[in-house]
Amino acid sequence: MANNQFITPAKAARGLGSAKSGTSDHIRQRVTAIAMVFLVPWFLYSVIHASGAGYDGAVEWAGKPWNAILLILTAGAAFYHMRIGMQIVIEDYIGKTGTRSALLILNSFACIALFATVALSVLKLWIGADA
Amino acid sequence: MVELTLPKNSKVGKGKTWPKPQGATNLRQFKIYRYSPEEAGNPRWDLYWVDMDKAGTMILDVLLYIKNNIDPTLAFRRSCREGVCGSCAMNIAGNNTIACTKGFDELPGGVISISPLPHLPVVKDLIPDLTNFYAQHAYVQPFLKTVTPAPEKEWKQSETDREELNGLYECILCACCSTSCPSYWWNGDKYLGPAALLQAYRWLIDSRDEATGERLDDLEDPFKLYRCHTIMNCAQVCPKGLNPAKAIAKIKHMMVERVS
Repeated sequence: MANNQFITPAKAARGLGSAKSGTSDHIRQRVTAIAMVFLVPWFLYSVIHASGAGYDGAVEWAGKPWNAILLILTAGAAFYHMRIGMQIVIEDYIGKTGTRSALLILNSFACIALFATVALSVLKLWIGADA
Repeated sequence: MVELTLPKNSKVGKGKTWPKPQGATNLRQFKIYRYSPEEAGNPRWDLYWVDMDKAGTMILDVLLYIKNNIDPTLAFRRSCREGVCGSCAMNIAGNNTIACTKGFDELPGGVISISPLPHLPVVKDLIPDLTNFYAQHAYVQPFLKTVTPAPEKEWKQSETDREELNGLYECILCACCSTSCPSYWWNGDKYLGPAALLQAYRWLIDSRDEATGERLDDLEDPFKLYRCHTIMNCAQVCPKGLNPAKAIAKIKHMMVERVS
């Protein structure tokens, strides 16, 4: 809220005006959530199942085309969802503009890096399995 | 921004314990938030004994009993005393509500605390500063906007379209919902809050209003609208039984509808 006693209430309430954005993130958060409704149960079931066969069994499982595709999709949906969710948390809790911008950038970097790591690891197993 | 503790000058200290009314047999203790800008120091909790046989049936009656019989300096807003004006909104036993429609029989046992609506500047005692709340209500332009010249007699509306306004028009702007919302506490300077958004939806859904697109434009914002995280405190506390969270969800639905 404006501290300046000469700022009118209307000026404070209007602020910088409407950003005319937010709907796309709202939609993407829900779409990734819907994707995860299917992907996460599959992921949990498969990982528990695959872990029974030890390290070699898990590597073999992750190298199968359908498993690899679904694993990458799961990571994609989860990290995209996480990026939007974390952004909302940061915006909620961090008021200082500088700190907030820095954390928002860090959030994007971290989520993209995590996705790239998972995706490339799975691809390596998949392509490695073919070779 | 999030504040998990009260600022230094807002910490509530121990106040005065007022004497018991004489000859009363049915006593109940109330802990009331007191703050006066004219006096130095932090706010305090004053303890009052109230003769429940003489105080009436509602919390507003208790406050009037205290003001008339014990402590005339107690300040609070009230007007209609029947749940229409929204003036006597305050936090009673931990829940935001209006004092005039909250009966004793609905209260938990023990000492009942009464404090102003949370997370607003306090003018005095139970009177919060609602300036920003009203400015946010004004922001949503709560009036009919049209480009078609006004008809000679009246703007007509079908019965079905009129029914859409049920559950929206009843809002009395008491601010119970907005001040119960953590998102509004943390970002109330930018987030419009449930009350203003319920009113925004009341005009968005009005079949006679021709400014729907412009209204949506003014709301589409990560803070003004999308700070609602469906915590639902608003719906839980509304003394009129309305559901601002549902209205906000419908605004979001309209936003999605116009891009897809």
